[in-house]
Amino acid sequence: MEPAGQASSGGAATMEVTSTPTGPGVDVSDVWRFFGSFPALGGMSFTAPYGQVTALVGPNGAGKTTLLLILASLLKPHRGRVLVAGCDPTVDPQGVRAATGWMPDAFGVYDQLTVREYLRFFGQAYKLDRASVAARVPELLELVHLAEYADQPVHVLSRGQKQRLALTRALVHRPRVLLLDEPASGLDPRSRVELRDILRGLAAQGAAVLVSSHILTELEEIADRVVLVAGGRTVGEYAMADLRAQARRPYRIRALDPEALGRALRDKGITHSTVNGSVELAELTEEQAARTLADLVAAGVGVVAFEPLGSDLESVYLAMTEERR
Amino acid sequence: MNPAHVWLVVAQEFRIRLRTGRWRWLLGAWLALLALFTLLLDLGLNTGYGYVPDDSLRGVPLFGFLMFFVLGSMLVISPALTAQTINGDRERGTLATLQVTRLRPAEIALGKLLAGWSVGLVALALSIPFAGYAMTQGGITITRVAAVYGVVALLIGTVCAVSQALSGLLARSITSALLSYVVTMTLAVGTLVAFGLALPLTEERIVVNSTDGYRYTTYQTHPERVWWLLAPNPFVIVADAAPRVPPRVTRHGDVIHIENYDPLSSIGNEVRQLRSPQGWFVYAPNADSVPEPEEKPVWPYGLGFSVLLAAGSVLVTIRRLRTPTDRLPRGIRVA
Repeated sequence: MEPAGQASSGGAATMEVTSTPTGPGVDVSDVWRFFGSFPALGGMSFTAPYGQVTALVGPNGAGKTTLLLILASLLKPHRGRVLVAGCDPTVDPQGVRAATGWMPDAFGVYDQLTVREYLRFFGQAYKLDRASVAARVPELLELVHLAEYADQPVHVLSRGQKQRLALTRALVHRPRVLLLDEPASGLDPRSRVELRDILRGLAAQGAAVLVSSHILTELEEIADRVVLVAGGRTVGEYAMADLRAQARRPYRIRALDPEALGRALRDKGITHSTVNGSVELAELTEEQAARTLADLVAAGVGVVAFEPLGSDLESVYLAMTEERR
Repeated sequence: MNPAHVWLVVAQEFRIRLRTGRWRWLLGAWLALLALFTLLLDLGLNTGYGYVPDDSLRGVPLFGFLMFFVLGSMLVISPALTAQTINGDRERGTLATLQVTRLRPAEIALGKLLAGWSVGLVALALSIPFAGYAMTQGGITITRVAAVYGVVALLIGTVCAVSQALSGLLARSITSALLSYVVTMTLAVGTLVAFGLALPLTEERIVVNSTDGYRYTTYQTHPERVWWLLAPNPFVIVADAAPRVPPRVTRHGDVIHIENYDPLSSIGNEVRQLRSPQGWFVYAPNADSVPEPEEKPVWPYGLGFSVLLAAGSVLVTIRRLRTPTDRLPRGIRVA
């Protein structure tokens, strides 16, 4: 595992935020986009500030990819307004492109090129001069641990390595805003940790990082903020810390005497069920959980285990999708 | 638009093409085919079928048939060079990542077009040694060779540009490739069919009152009303654009019209005749009073049409590459 410190030193080489930008990196307000008569986006609004990693979380078909295409200046919104690094992509796509790195969920690479040629081409396509490209390419390959593949053709890379190469492509011009669509899909656990370290490093250097995913647990460690989306709309926008406090999760309790535990819970009127000899409580906030535990201990129940089930995000996500039904 | 960025795209396309295709084999096969064709043509011209009245003019039919073969082959090769450059990249998922860079749509469109066109030009250039051989056989000037090569090169560019525009317009690369061939065939064959169908409709019924009191009816077709249907035909353009070979007078005072033995010259003369009919073709009761119409060339119209078609195609391609887009090709994801 890479220590976080090393990744952020790599990040220091990656980011150079020269001017302090004002306003959020990404500002989405009431954005609509139709495909035919179907609204893929139906009034989505949120912001992604500089210096933070914002997670865009929602089920398949929630409009995440469509929104990222709009932010990447590829697709026009039908209604509403989008600002990326202070530029409106429909008015000033060049301004957006100069400041934005985009990594799509599905993409192709030029299989015939070597890794170095691939990156060099994109460096030039982003109008970096020769000297910057020459310096930038080895730096980025070092960052994602692909330096030893520099002269290999791209087609020998594994899926995860291609994913990392695509990340370097998005970073080649030192963007202030980074848009990543499902960046962790197809990565092994080690690469995921590295991705997390890279993204945290970039945010620490001042970039606005927007990451979409439907895999919740992986974003729990990466993101500072979470935007929950479903059916093309924003369902909620939370700081990760607040979310943890708000999250309602089921808890599992084991006690020395299961019958005493059951009696105590019935006395307090707390709904519970017994699964494989251990007791599960219905969803509680962290505050409620703490109070329940204190009550049980006060009632003399010998509690040996009291643990939350599932992850913070997952419970919020499940609650949210339940509300929709 | 910055030429350096156009060049960046050209270089990138070349690198990818050179490493995927079996170019050496394909170009080698093309060279072998040209050699075989020239050899057989050369031998054939020595037989009764290829009788040329003056041996010092053998080069004229040799060059004419060779260039028709080269043009025909290039019309088959050229659509394949660019017919998948846009939608093929979209299918492979490499177009969107290019569009979000700072390269402008015009730079991408022109870069890809120039790359495809240059491959066509390389194939064309491989025929130069054989045209050189034809020159050694007499009767051909360097101007004639240069003019014909210049026009063929432009026509290759047009076919490439149209095919690329189709590749930008259509979602599936297989459809755009097919349609590119349909367009090329329309220019090469469809124009002839259209002319053949239109010509009878120009027929005019003429009732003549002769001086001795008889009335009789005659019919007159007017190719000068529909000649333009032939103008976009690539073979017509090349044939008519080739500078004429002047008639040669032999030692014995005979005049040799070598154009009758050369497909380029004869087609060129034919279409000019259609544009401004003269001689027996025109009904003229008092033949003496009809002035000899001057010969009007057809190729400027054909070449002009071709250049406009190419320019329009490039504009269409640029439009289709412009982002953010409002509409997506049906059934295709942007990325």
